[in-house]
Amino acid sequence: MTALRTGRAGRAGQYAALLGYLVLLAFPFLWLISTAFKPPRELGSLHPTWIPVNPTLANFRQAFDEQPLLQAAGNSLIAALAAALIAVVIATPMAYTMARRRGRLTTAATGWVVVSQAFPFVLVIIPLFLVLKNLQLINTLSGLIMVYVVWSLPFALWMLVGYVRAVPGELEEAAAVDGASRLRTLVSVTAPLLAPGIVATALFAFITAWNEFFFALVLLKTPEKQTLPVVLTHFLGAEGVADLGPLAAAAFLATIPSLVIFAIIQKRITGGMLAGAVKS
Amino acid sequence: MISATATARSGRKAARSTGGTVDHGAWFLVLPALIPILVLSVGPLLYGISLAFTDAQAGRTEPTEWVGTLNFQDLLHDTLFWESFRIGLLWAVGVTVPQFLLALGLALLLDQRLRLRWLARALAIVPWAMPEVVVGIMWRLVYNPDAGILNETLRDLGLGSGQDWLTGLATALPAVIVVGIWAGMPQTTVALLAGLQNTPHELHEAAALDGAGAWRRFRTVTWPAIRPVALAVTALNFIWNFNAFALVYVLTSGGPGGRTRLPMLFAYEQAFRYGQFGYAAAMGCVMVALISVMLAFYLVGRLKGGEDA
Amino acid sequence: MRTRRPRGRLLAAAAALALLMTGCSDGPARDDGTIRLRFQSLAWQQESVDANKELVEEWNAAHPDVQVEYVQGSWDSVHDQLLTSFEGGEAPDIIHDASDDLADFAYGGCLADLTELLPERLRADIPRQSWETTTFGDGVYGVPFLQEPRVLIANTEILETSGVRLPTAERPWSWEEFRQVTKDLTKTMGKGKYAVAWPLKEPVSVTLNLGLSAGGRLFHRGQDGKVTIDFRDGDGVVPGTIHDQVNVDRSASRSTLGMGGSDTLPGFFGGKYAMVPLGFSYRQQIAQQAPEGFRWTVLPAPAGPDGPAQGVSPQTLSVAQDSAHKKEAAQFIDFMLRPQNMVRLAKGDWMLPTGTQALGDPALHTEKDGWATGADLARHLRSAPAQAVRGYPEWKDKVATPAYQEFYSGAIDEKELKERLVKDGNLVLARYQR
Repeated sequence: MTALRTGRAGRAGQYAALLGYLVLLAFPFLWLISTAFKPPRELGSLHPTWIPVNPTLANFRQAFDEQPLLQAAGNSLIAALAAALIAVVIATPMAYTMARRRGRLTTAATGWVVVSQAFPFVLVIIPLFLVLKNLQLINTLSGLIMVYVVWSLPFALWMLVGYVRAVPGELEEAAAVDGASRLRTLVSVTAPLLAPGIVATALFAFITAWNEFFFALVLLKTPEKQTLPVVLTHFLGAEGVADLGPLAAAAFLATIPSLVIFAIIQKRITGGMLAGAVKS
Repeated sequence: MISATATARSGRKAARSTGGTVDHGAWFLVLPALIPILVLSVGPLLYGISLAFTDAQAGRTEPTEWVGTLNFQDLLHDTLFWESFRIGLLWAVGVTVPQFLLALGLALLLDQRLRLRWLARALAIVPWAMPEVVVGIMWRLVYNPDAGILNETLRDLGLGSGQDWLTGLATALPAVIVVGIWAGMPQTTVALLAGLQNTPHELHEAAALDGAGAWRRFRTVTWPAIRPVALAVTALNFIWNFNAFALVYVLTSGGPGGRTRLPMLFAYEQAFRYGQFGYAAAMGCVMVALISVMLAFYLVGRLKGGEDA
Repeated sequence: MRTRRPRGRLLAAAAALALLMTGCSDGPARDDGTIRLRFQSLAWQQESVDANKELVEEWNAAHPDVQVEYVQGSWDSVHDQLLTSFEGGEAPDIIHDASDDLADFAYGGCLADLTELLPERLRADIPRQSWETTTFGDGVYGVPFLQEPRVLIANTEILETSGVRLPTAERPWSWEEFRQVTKDLTKTMGKGKYAVAWPLKEPVSVTLNLGLSAGGRLFHRGQDGKVTIDFRDGDGVVPGTIHDQVNVDRSASRSTLGMGGSDTLPGFFGGKYAMVPLGFSYRQQIAQQAPEGFRWTVLPAPAGPDGPAQGVSPQTLSVAQDSAHKKEAAQFIDFMLRPQNMVRLAKGDWMLPTGTQALGDPALHTEKDGWATGADLARHLRSAPAQAVRGYPEWKDKVATPAYQEFYSGAIDEKELKERLVKDGNLVLARYQR
């Protein structure tokens, strides 16, 4: 963020480039919104317009009529909420240990965090499917939640380790010198400092699960159990018969929660994600 | 490589701050996460590898048997799988490289004091926050031959009557790659931006005072500073992209005629459409093995290059 | 740092609660002696969904002790969905599918053999060639109930002014005649317009089913019971005709090759194409979407030396092997397929019923919307050649679909088409027939 001397032409070039990026990033999303509000006649038109001539809410109504969107959103909410909470609850102690202690276990765990990013899901999903089948957990949200927890652990650990390191060990030492017990130190000194990071991690895990498609596709079989992304694909229909209006409307609605949460935690996530990478 | 330094660093601190009395406590803290990891991640992985040596199939008429390396022999002759693998590599490279370059450009811009920077930052998260399924649906709307904005824009500009982007044999893969680039750009941008903001200002200023041009400043100051991040990000992106599924599933389902059938899609179909679990597991193994080898070469090569510089 | 209080315990409790809730809701329905069956329907056109739901409601009203729940499935993912459902023990009791999708499930032991379960009335009502589509080995694994011939949907205006001979079910066009007609017709239509638009996003079943009329078989069962693929002269007629229309005569639009049926309709309504070969049921969309004053008609597909024979893969109703109440499930199927109910389903889907009685219903023989033409074709429909073959779905998706698509678009010649269908195809089939 340095104010380096840049020629006027250079500046203009920079603005032109920035404008290009803005257009590139925004136009598909704007088109989605525009499509969501168009009546069938305009969707069938061979010369579509950016702004709907006769905007309508009919697509939204039709989307809710055609597919159990509310139920799907409920399923997504339960799965994402439970997965995020459980992941954070079990990951925080482990992340704390990984950040503060050295040992073979820590090395192995760190190794796993990195390696697990490279698994092709398919190598995991086939055995997982067979395991969950034996546990009678296919087509249950509980089974999906278990998968989501494990699946979000690497990233949660990664972020949390970064946040724990950001809490200076000296503070804990000082408390210990003052005679506070170890547990007390954790609760009264470390936890409050860590809380925002934990919340950010949980929210990130939430969005990951909310957006997830592959595992849900394989594991959830009946429409009343399926999550939002899976139900959305039902709008695509047979032989590519897509009813564009309701499709766009439903897709738009499904994005709103992610966008809102993301807007809230954007800064923290970038910080957390890179804590390990950059600060070392 | 990042985590290695990280571990070393935390290790030093740990040695100072704790005595040797909490070993049992450590296990207690770690177990809640460790058990699920072992049961639902490490375990299935090993199970999956062993499946590759069986004839496991859907259906309940025949018991599963060990077949040795038969699946791998079949795979060797399966031209369709290798075609899919080739497409996967094309896709992974085709997405990762432009994604990195575009993201680097955007990150450099965002690192400047420009007006509208906030808007770009806000917009940059949109692709990241969206469910992949929605990204796919959205671009289907863009690419739609009649009602899509892309063809309409081309027609307005007088560049022909447009294309069936996602169903044309020649255009499908490039069209899908564009979506892949778009969808993954934000993560990369954010990572690079953080790297940039860690670059020491003094160096920039010193270089500027020396009269170094923009390109030279980038080469000598910026690039060395973000190099580790860039390396890690491209390596990770490459793996993620190679393993991509949802985007292509929604956009083309592997069509037309298998032109966009990425290896993940191929293996998914093999397992969950045709019920050939053992064969699909063998594909998974081959994919991991080959990608690991490639990545190892890339990273070793890059790291060596770094030492020379 | 606004959040001050540690929330761990609260989070844990909430998480446990959430798990508990989902765990409970997964449990089986309460046990009050009522038998509960799940019927997964793939109906997707509104009229057809309504017809199915109405029938389910009528059944439930008449059978308080056997309650059927309507579950909505979808054609594009049904195979994956059923396969994983069977594996996971979550399959619906009554399953709506198509006969060409059943082979792997039937041989895999996932579907119940209906031979003993169905009443004589239903067995006698449906003709033998229809039952053949769902017979695998010694068992019958589904009831074929709706089918549709491929027909040519034509723009009446253009055909009438051109003066070509219009085909009838008795005197259809031959494939050579069809090619000549489209060639002539295209010349009269002007630039950028085509006599025919082949929507070939899913080229395999169209090609094989129409190919039957010219003697195409492709799949041959050997002495040892194993199926292999062989490409003979009869297999080349239909693909050759389509290929030449697109690449030699330019009488068929190239841009529709990658499209699904519905995608061609705007161009058809706009007069860009004179004819579109489509499934019989597409008439519903055409009737609904055609602009005011647009006149269209239904013509039989071209025929070969064997007459207008066509392969079909009827829609089917099956019972899951895992179902605890197979007898009741079969009774429900019998109810759904009573003649008057079959007519309702047929009308809802704009398709033809397989049942002889239902097919005789006058409502299915009206001239309006081309019902009569289709009904006349019904007796020429027979089992699609490939459908009893294990591994057919994989061959179709991975080998045949791309091979045909590339052949039709002119990217490869017949020699390479043949080689890929046969060589790669036999490798796939071999994996299923060890």
